[in-house]
Amino acid sequence: MAANPAQRRYVGRMIPISIAYVAAVMLASWIIPDDAAATPLTVAVALVPALATSGFIWAMARFVTELTDEYVRMLEIRKMLVATGLTLALASGWGILELFTDVPKVPLFFVFPVWCLGLAVGSLVNKLTIGDAGSCA
Amino acid sequence: MKNRLKILRAERDWSQQDLAERLEVSRQSVNAIETGKYDPSLPLAFRIADLFGLPIEAIFLKEG
Repeated sequence: MAANPAQRRYVGRMIPISIAYVAAVMLASWIIPDDAAATPLTVAVALVPALATSGFIWAMARFVTELTDEYVRMLEIRKMLVATGLTLALASGWGILELFTDVPKVPLFFVFPVWCLGLAVGSLVNKLTIGDAGSCA
Repeated sequence: MKNRLKILRAERDWSQQDLAERLEVSRQSVNAIETGKYDPSLPLAFRIADLFGLPIEAIFLKEG
């Protein structure tokens, strides 16, 4: 499917946010030593990449609200619902395992990447149930 | 929901892409509506009806 204006704007937002994210992670890795204490400075520096991840979420929200094609918007919303359900189920399941057993602790950092992978599962669900996967955005 | 979109489109010799451009939606949407995979919202159904100059119930039919 050819990119619609909402998709083009989405890509236009994601590229600078991605560059900012990589730069912020590199900066935080360079400034904060391993196992540093949580001081106001280290927390402030470590939160800069989090601003970028919030930017990713904002760009996705804008993408959905700017989609004028209701069918394509429905496909995107379904993908996000599948991703959210999958992430909640995995996080809750693993969290319970951590409570009762000595399985390795998974950092909360991985919640967002898992949700993004869930979007791919959502595309597959769309393809299998409706016949259209939705955009690759 | 059943619909007569394919027939109406064929009568005017429009492709799915032609209809999509007239409705300002994607060809994917037209295909999904035409094949009954997706029921359009009321505003889009009115746009379709206006385009063909027909009432909504002459395009979209109740099942059974």
